[in-house]
Amino acid sequence: MNEYAAVLIFLFVGIGVVLFTFFLARLVRPSNPYKAKNQNYECAEPPIGSGWIQFNNRFYIFALIFVVFDVEAIFLFPWAVAFGQLGLYALIEMIIFIVILLFGLFYAWKKGVLKWV
Amino acid sequence: MTDQNWSILIPEIFLFIWALFIFGLDLGIKRKNPKILGYSAMAGLTITGILLAIFNGGILFKGMFQSDQLAIFFKVIFIGSAFMAVGSSFDIASEKIRHHRGEYYGLILFSTVGMMFLSSASELITLYIGMELTTIPLYVLAAFYKDDKLSVEAGLKYLIVGAFSSAILLYGLSLLYGLTGTTDIVTMKINLSLVFLSYGKIGPGLILAMIMVIAGIGFKLALVPFHMWAPDVYQGAPTPITAFLSVGSKAAGVVAFARIFVNGLIAFASDVMKPLDWGIIVAILAAAAMILGNITALRQRNIKRMLAYSSIAQIGYVMVGMVAASELGIASVGYYMFIYLFANMGAFTIATIFNDKTGSDGIISYSGLSKTSPIFAAYMSIFLLSLAGIPPLGGFAAKYLVFAAGIQAGYTWLVIVALLTSVVSLYYYANIIKTMYFSAEEPTIKIHPSFPANLVLLISVIGIILFGIFPGPILDWALESAKIFAF
Amino acid sequence: MVPMPHYLILSALLFAIGAAGVILSRNLLIMFMSIEVMLNAANLAIITFSRFLNVMDGHVFVFLVMAIAAAEAAVGLAMIITIFRNRGTIDADKFNLMKW
Repeated sequence: MNEYAAVLIFLFVGIGVVLFTFFLARLVRPSNPYKAKNQNYECAEPPIGSGWIQFNNRFYIFALIFVVFDVEAIFLFPWAVAFGQLGLYALIEMIIFIVILLFGLFYAWKKGVLKWV
Repeated sequence: MTDQNWSILIPEIFLFIWALFIFGLDLGIKRKNPKILGYSAMAGLTITGILLAIFNGGILFKGMFQSDQLAIFFKVIFIGSAFMAVGSSFDIASEKIRHHRGEYYGLILFSTVGMMFLSSASELITLYIGMELTTIPLYVLAAFYKDDKLSVEAGLKYLIVGAFSSAILLYGLSLLYGLTGTTDIVTMKINLSLVFLSYGKIGPGLILAMIMVIAGIGFKLALVPFHMWAPDVYQGAPTPITAFLSVGSKAAGVVAFARIFVNGLIAFASDVMKPLDWGIIVAILAAAAMILGNITALRQRNIKRMLAYSSIAQIGYVMVGMVAASELGIASVGYYMFIYLFANMGAFTIATIFNDKTGSDGIISYSGLSKTSPIFAAYMSIFLLSLAGIPPLGGFAAKYLVFAAGIQAGYTWLVIVALLTSVVSLYYYANIIKTMYFSAEEPTIKIHPSFPANLVLLISVIGIILFGIFPGPILDWALESAKIFAF
Repeated sequence: MVPMPHYLILSALLFAIGAAGVILSRNLLIMFMSIEVMLNAANLAIITFSRFLNVMDGHVFVFLVMAIAAAEAAVGLAMIITIFRNRGTIDADKFNLMKW
């Protein structure tokens, strides 16, 4: 079971670092809670209503478009690491790939998806 | 980079760029000329077909992409089904989906590109990606009437079942990969035989992998017991998309099944290999599909649902040819799918036109169609009789070949089941014809299809009759395409 | 080094958890998350085989599967938004307009 010792140590160190920083922060910071400070942050305005509301489902649409570019990074990363060996051939391939993705964004933009209706 | 023969990829690349072009065109022309998008999609598919005739035969990316005869045969079916689906969509495009025409046609083309990649895949990674590229646009297309409750529900059901099955398929593929250490199907075949020869058995891993892959592809094929989604999705989705699903997507599943099982796991398709014999499992599923599909179709009142159950039964017949796992078997499967393309697309095209006119899918509302629109009633009768397998139409030759392959491979019991259920199927197909011709009700509806829909119907009728009477050319081509598996 | 069966058992467990989630849960979002778990279980199996058999194909496979999973998730989320607008619920039991 020695192989798992490393996993276990990693786990404990991970938890430990978080707990330690919290503890350290508690040691050094002054404690002075008052009402305005405990309020939810809402763009520096006084908050309206509870913080536990359902998000507007328009946010999902932006999330969807984000996902496209988020996952693009999966392919960009190994390409960037091995760029030296791959050369021009891969560069052109990657440009085509990104152009296709950008076309998707352009299409969404033109269709008015990015507008907050 | 020495064995790169890029030219064989040209049809796929062209179709992909054309799909992007259609998206762009939709932005450009706004809504001035509603038909131009549909015609350009049809033109794109035609050009792809021509390119396919010019650039074929070769291997790319070290065997990841193979443009062999089998791939080309099925690519013709895919392009044909997309062409017909686009052709029968003109009426809904001018009304129901006015604001999203570009997406509609573009996604059909994307899905076709996926099918074309899938049929060329001789390797698990390409195969999986092709399959996903086929289905993901179809999820969206099934839910395309986004204000219609049935359509959205259909899309959602298809998506959940499809994603679930693709996860199962992927796990099965990962096990195959683990057992053989390769993703190339031919190398996989060799490695499996080597392991088998040196150890005498492979054990439960392979059984699990086979079951998972059968389940994963079985969902795409709507093979019993993985068929639950099909009637709902077929009923709710826009009718041209239902047609595309039932022909294109099914043919894609068939070719994936052929590639993995009839090529990669061919060594395990015999009695001596029990319990690794996948033939018997698939034979039982096929028998179940034929029995359940045909009997449930008897009590359907909605034409799309009835055709859904009928297509579940049809895939059972296709699987008879598949379990035969011989040259004749694969050739008969190819021929069957070719005829099925014409018959099913034709029947769904009539259903589309009818629905556009009346807003109804009920079989009862077809009553008296023969008096108002005698030509279309005759067309519909030809399609249905071909699906039932009445000579001299194409469906008869197709069924005959499939059954011959089944008997040749020793699955006599399966062929008997198939024959008996064919007789049952005749009842519900004939029922529609009876409603159209001999109903006492006063006919009110007259249908006027648009020009492209007329073209689709004409192609289908000519295809069924011509290839029914002269099956020679298609059958020779199918036999040629079956040779690549080297039995 | 951790032996191969351990990874495979973990992957099988994740797959089973995901499958159970899809079958038992009635909430569409949870069903989707479960499908992602299933896909990642398969990814884990592939990467394990790839590592222990010393063949690189598996790495490529996993990259592509991740991209596909994202595409599926994007379509799935869009579909959930559509059905939420349409019906006002994402409870899978409520979607029963079509039967038999």
